[in-house]
Amino acid sequence: MFYIKLADLNIKIDNKYPQLEKLCFDYLVAPCSEDFFVSASDEELNREIAGSDLKISKAYAESICIYRNICTCLTNYNAFVFHASVVEYEGRAYAFTAKSGTGKSTHSLLWLDCFNGSRIINGDKPIIRLKDNKFFVYGTPWCGKEGFNVNSSAELSAICFIERNVDNNITKIDSGEALGRIFNQLLIPKDKKAADKFLYLLDILLTKIDCYLLHCNISKEAAYIAYKGMNNIKEEGIYEKEE
Amino acid sequence: MKRKNDFIIRKVAEQYVIVAVGEESKRFNGMIKVNTSGAFIWDLLETETNIDSIVKSILVKYDINEKIARTDAEKFIGVLKDAGAIE
Repeated sequence: MFYIKLADLNIKIDNKYPQLEKLCFDYLVAPCSEDFFVSASDEELNREIAGSDLKISKAYAESICIYRNICTCLTNYNAFVFHASVVEYEGRAYAFTAKSGTGKSTHSLLWLDCFNGSRIINGDKPIIRLKDNKFFVYGTPWCGKEGFNVNSSAELSAICFIERNVDNNITKIDSGEALGRIFNQLLIPKDKKAADKFLYLLDILLTKIDCYLLHCNISKEAAYIAYKGMNNIKEEGIYEKEE
Repeated sequence: MKRKNDFIIRKVAEQYVIVAVGEESKRFNGMIKVNTSGAFIWDLLETETNIDSIVKSILVKYDINEKIARTDAEKFIGVLKDAGAIE
């Protein structure tokens, strides 16, 4: 049993395997009055293992199940998990999303290369939370195979859908198109009330946050074009690094 | 026919979407985008009904001819059936 603080919420976790506490190391807090409590039953772990394409350990299954159970509780606090890699630069968070294998992490790494002081808040499964009428992105220990995460947060500035392409270009898309694209990158709660709340949050998200479609290759130019597009900067060249 | 309880409709980004929850979400994890007339039909499906009765209701509400109303309604109900949203 241990306590973590995620997205400004105190969560009590009843674990069976020590690996989970290790994973959550950067997020541990002293025992406190928790906002909510999660655990994962043996049935859940077995179901997770049976349903996985890869051979996974019980400890790993526990980590997956616990995060899913955390996700279920998040809607009560105006929060949800988003399958995206989120980069923070100049205090603003940019969420890059696409189906697995497209290159979210690769593109995020280009930003680290191009923009001094940028960092990845979470490389795979950050939490988004609506607070004071603004959306914030929070780091979590569940962050994909590369392990990119920081126990920090930043205001969400834009959502960027990534598609691989020979050349680089970025266009703003309307909320209707964004809805079709974002849907597969979100986990809809199974519980009816939670699902309803989740769709309510999604509506506010797509209304408030600008969404873009980035066609990109793996070059620094891709990062500059993405940055300029999302900040409505038209000038040529000014952000390129001097060699 | 009527709609299943494990499907909910909500307005997101200025359009209606229908998603599955509970047990149904294991089978259908997508989203059905719906326009206002689709949302109207969805409301009619709250209680047991049939295609003739749905078409009749559409004709009361919308100024379109019966043939178009029937084609549209059948098409939409087909989408719902494919998703397993009606029983």
